[in-house]
Amino acid sequence: MTSQPLLHVDQVHKTYSRGVFNKQVTFDLQADFTIHEPGIVGVMGPNGSGKTTLFELITGSNNPTAGQVLVCGQDIHQVRSDQRDRLAIHYHQSYQVRHFRKRRPNFMLQPSHTDYPMVHLFDEPQFNTQDGYIGFMLDFFRRLRDEGRLVVLCVHPNEPFHLQIMQEICERYIFVQHGRLSLAPTYDGLLANPDVTAYLGDLVGGQAA
Amino acid sequence: MALFEAHHLHKRFADQVVLEDITLSFEENQISGIMGPNGAGKTTCFNVLTGRFKPDRGQVRFDGQDITGLPPRKIAGKGIARSFQMMNLFDEYTALENIVLALPEVRARGFSVLHDLSNDSGAQDRGAQVLARIGLAGREHALASDLSYGQRRALEIGIALAAEPRMLFLDEPTSGLGMDATAILAELIGEIRKSVSIVIIEHDMRFLFDLADTIAVIHWGQVIAQGGPDELRDNEWVRASNLGALA
Repeated sequence: MTSQPLLHVDQVHKTYSRGVFNKQVTFDLQADFTIHEPGIVGVMGPNGSGKTTLFELITGSNNPTAGQVLVCGQDIHQVRSDQRDRLAIHYHQSYQVRHFRKRRPNFMLQPSHTDYPMVHLFDEPQFNTQDGYIGFMLDFFRRLRDEGRLVVLCVHPNEPFHLQIMQEICERYIFVQHGRLSLAPTYDGLLANPDVTAYLGDLVGGQAA
Repeated sequence: MALFEAHHLHKRFADQVVLEDITLSFEENQISGIMGPNGAGKTTCFNVLTGRFKPDRGQVRFDGQDITGLPPRKIAGKGIARSFQMMNLFDEYTALENIVLALPEVRARGFSVLHDLSNDSGAQDRGAQVLARIGLAGREHALASDLSYGQRRALEIGIALAAEPRMLFLDEPTSGLGMDATAILAELIGEIRKSVSIVIIEHDMRFLFDLADTIAVIHWGQVIAQGGPDELRDNEWVRASNLGALA
């Protein structure tokens, strides 16, 4: 199992369209990337860019229009829906919902190969400097990584310390805009993308120099 | 083996997962703390540990016995008492009557108890002893409704202690208390710990850092950190914060 990449998002497309006879595409997400090693990946992007849809596709709670998602070599959409959260888990802001769109009954699907999820997706966790829990959350992310898991951390930065956290803890980055992903291996590489600096605006003004 | 152990507890309500995977253990004669931000699943965790909710997966063990899914009264019978985040007192009864009603021998007798309570000096004495333990000596005949908020919280703990449990669970004991009342409560807990093992679920980090021997931090329905207070305090974000105290 270890020879397989932790996460392989294989030419995944998700298209939302409107209308029956005269279909119009309202949203189109395309993703194609592979992460071999355990680590912490930072995801940023404007509202409506497709971050949460991407997370839903990775955890198997939303079906792709095309392509497949392999977690440790297992196609998550072919795993029993009641066991998909043993492979990849989606943490919403402060609550957790497991809901899976069903295409086939569970008895026709495979059991998960793992018990505790290998991929952990944190969707805008609430970072509040007042109460100090951030410190424990960051240590938890590091612990998951050190156990050989993949942590994907989606933050919508609106305070300078959000960026500091990303810079401190993430080893690579994905920027999502208009349903397209750009991958950056480093924080500097991320900031070299003019779309990213335009998105971050004033937050990065003082820091980029 | 610890006195109380929970293994891989999982609890969901319909599609909403509240406890993902909780493994905890509480040692005898210690104060163990559980803390976490709002919505972390603290109270659900408490309710699963004390038998109010049955976990969907996982096991709870007390003194080597599997108590998973036993009804609350059976769990209480094994020596586990709990307090409630919401006050649970009889306002029209005195402090002493509230305690006496909770004594196991009075409960066993069933109702009609109030008629002969005044003649039962044994129960009265035992009730008075409990009141003294919780710092309410001299307030025996005050109506529960006339007590201050902090005293009512202490009386609630007294009701739990009346059953002489081996382990006492307290759910957010500082909620609604001001600084002074919180300090008095901390002193009270420091006193009763000599005779009972205690588990406290609390949002206020400072309260737990001062009292607990070990602390588990829960969030996202999991234990995201654990250790002694000094270990957990040694974190730049914790030092920079106001420790969960409400500003």
